[in-house]
Amino acid sequence: MNNPYEVLGVSETATDEEVKAAYRKLAKKYHPDNYTDSPLADVAEQKMKEINEAYDMINQMRQKGKGTGSTGSSSYNANSSSSQFYNVRIYIQRGLLDQADQILENTAQSMRTAEWHYLKGMIAYRRGWSEQAFSYFTTACNMDPNNTEYRAALNNMQNQRAYNYGGYTQTNPNATGTSFCDVCAGMMCANCLCDCCRMGC
Amino acid sequence: MFGYLQIQKSELLVREAEAYKAVYCGLCRQMGKDYSVFTRFTLSYDCTFYAMLLMSLNRSCKGFRDGRCTCNPLKKCKFATDEGDAYSKAAAFSMISAYYKIIDDIQDSKFFKKLLCRIIKPFFSHQRKKAAKKYPDMDKAVADMMKMQYDAEHSDKPSVDMSAHPTALMLATVLAAEAHDEIQKRVLYEFGYHLGRWIYLVDAADDIKKDIESNGFNPFVNKITGEVKLVDFITAVLNQSLARAYDAYNLMNFTDFKGILDNMMLLGFPASQNRVTSKLDTEVNNE
Repeated sequence: MNNPYEVLGVSETATDEEVKAAYRKLAKKYHPDNYTDSPLADVAEQKMKEINEAYDMINQMRQKGKGTGSTGSSSYNANSSSSQFYNVRIYIQRGLLDQADQILENTAQSMRTAEWHYLKGMIAYRRGWSEQAFSYFTTACNMDPNNTEYRAALNNMQNQRAYNYGGYTQTNPNATGTSFCDVCAGMMCANCLCDCCRMGC
Repeated sequence: MFGYLQIQKSELLVREAEAYKAVYCGLCRQMGKDYSVFTRFTLSYDCTFYAMLLMSLNRSCKGFRDGRCTCNPLKKCKFATDEGDAYSKAAAFSMISAYYKIIDDIQDSKFFKKLLCRIIKPFFSHQRKKAAKKYPDMDKAVADMMKMQYDAEHSDKPSVDMSAHPTALMLATVLAAEAHDEIQKRVLYEFGYHLGRWIYLVDAADDIKKDIESNGFNPFVNKITGEVKLVDFITAVLNQSLARAYDAYNLMNFTDFKGILDNMMLLGFPASQNRVTSKLDTEVNNE
């Protein structure tokens, strides 16, 4: 295994607090919630495992033996074997998207349930065809509004579309420009006043 | 590619801004060396990003050296030195995409521009052949993209996803070829796919007014149903692509140029996107 300090990106002289902070930051970054439905979910999981191990190891080396805050893995694979499209789910999980799509395409029109739309959306999502995925997820949620699985997929996409993702903040470039100017101008005025006072004194 | 992959200079550290410039200058010099002095004008921010990404991925940048600007000998500048083939690849990529851009313009443009493109075509054709000889896979990826793009635009009611797919696939292929192992390959593929998709769609959003006037193809035209505003729809689609590219980016452990790459992912690209969407907003409001 690599040097656990390198994995967490801290120096060996870092304090316990710094190590903890670095660990938390990375754990947030690789959190499974960020990669729900993503084709890279397993890669993120692997990274999560690495930082968990590194954090454990550092704790052991420092002879604390405290809990690690490991988050466990794959708690988000909420697949039920009773599902109508069980084999499709298996195919998607293995990344065999064409086969999965084939089965769905061969499903009779009357059998195209909310889950069918959800899985179609999932295949599109994995392929990167986000608009198509979004429309399938929306249909799935409309057909079965109480299903948490479909809702989670849709929410995930809505977050991505709303920039609430990955720390982006959207601002109008013009708007920030003026506010900065305002602040500067305000500061300059204040500065002038101070100067006046000092000279007066 | 179209020049949307920029930095947000005001948020960079001074040494980072210098490093970025040094990569830019290094690439410019390489293009003069590998191809021709005139090809320097095709140098874009996108290819600088590509070069920087490759250097970071291979950890091949070994510092800087002082020199003089090759266009203006009076100006001193720094060059980032590279031990790998990042510059050479980025220069080739720049030539290949410039050539195919010209071919595309000949098909799409009006009389004068068409004529101009025809005149410069033989020159770029020659340069492209040089580049394609060095990196045939890259040339193939871009050529495939052009063909797929044509098919997509001439199919029956192409969706947004379908129109963006060729560019996305091209960048995914080009980047995935740089991977050192299977996992990295998947991450780079996903990153390239969504970044390519974003580039194509930002460009489409930028051209929307022009395309409506000239009756050209644009993936965003006639896509809106219901009461959603066009700008909001476009913003959502672009955010989505960038968010997924960023997720994949996070799984690559960059260390070299990390500050600059982070700056681009989190500030520079969104700023490019904002420029386009806010322009779109005023255009739509004025009409």
